[in-house]
Amino acid sequence: MIEEPNDDSGDLLVILRHGPHGTSYLKEGLDTALVAAAFGRRVSLLFLASGVAALVPGQGAGPLGQKGTQPTLAMLEMYDIDRLFVDGAGLAELGVAPETLTPDATVIEGDAIAALMAEHALVLTF
Amino acid sequence: MASTETARTLDLGQASVPLDPEGYLVNLDDWSPAVAEALAAEEGITLGDEHWQVIDVLRDFYARFEQAPAMRPLVKAVGQALGKDKGSSLYLMKLFPGSPPKLGARLAGLPKPTNCL
Amino acid sequence: MILHTLNRSPLESTVYRQALRALAEDDKLLLIEDGVLGALPAQQALWSSLPGRLLALAEDLEARGLSEHCATGIEVIDVDGFVRLTEEADKVVSWY
Repeated sequence: MIEEPNDDSGDLLVILRHGPHGTSYLKEGLDTALVAAAFGRRVSLLFLASGVAALVPGQGAGPLGQKGTQPTLAMLEMYDIDRLFVDGAGLAELGVAPETLTPDATVIEGDAIAALMAEHALVLTF
Repeated sequence: MASTETARTLDLGQASVPLDPEGYLVNLDDWSPAVAEALAAEEGITLGDEHWQVIDVLRDFYARFEQAPAMRPLVKAVGQALGKDKGSSLYLMKLFPGSPPKLGARLAGLPKPTNCL
Repeated sequence: MILHTLNRSPLESTVYRQALRALAEDDKLLLIEDGVLGALPAQQALWSSLPGRLLALAEDLEARGLSEHCATGIEVIDVDGFVRLTEEADKVVSWY
């Protein structure tokens, strides 16, 4: 059953902690988010630590032709996944400027991360 | 992902193209409007303008995002491209009975959608 | 309360830093599997922000011969305690 939303909180928070290509975590996390959204769940994404690398512009396919994840990120809005958050500390550690991120994500830091987790019924880490 | 296993071939008169066990193209490059028509004919569907509009939307979706859409995003994409009145699951069910994302993807020469039942 | 579990040694993985950034004031952190290496006295500076909210799983300490070496102030619970804690928590988030 799909419950009607009664507040601003979401059903599922997917925390993405890995960049593209090194492991399959990012792809698996995005697949999980897409499946949940296809079934009408309200899904938010948090790009945490190395996961912020997923939002760096100019990515492509892997050296052996593996698909990149940017087309999937561009597709998120078609699944009504429009709540994207990015870890400010992770951006600072990698020296990535938030205004360059693709797609655009809301920078959060400090207690905001815990608050985001608290307002979702389910939190999955990838 | 498209399967690489050929279960049968679709006869197009002078040519034939391999299909996987679920009826999707083994080689996506084999797609042509004639392929879509032959696949539709097997389902008892004659493709009209309304079908072709949706097939265009599906092919555009795949070109942009490298995945075939599930029902929700398909409805949204059709609504954006063809107008709100066509962006409904009812309209798509009428054109592509059963599962519009699956049948639509098959006729449009896309891999099977991964995020839908 | 969210129960966070950590299963990687702090010597091997910096994922504990992600867990610490995500922990709310009343959340708990449970060290499991290789995470119990973080229960050794020499590692306690990492957890200074978590007084009374750091736990370690008895079975994983025992299997590694570390039961006697667990730092004071860490609450040691067994698997049954883990299950009870899971029921008390709003949700469980695993850091791995």
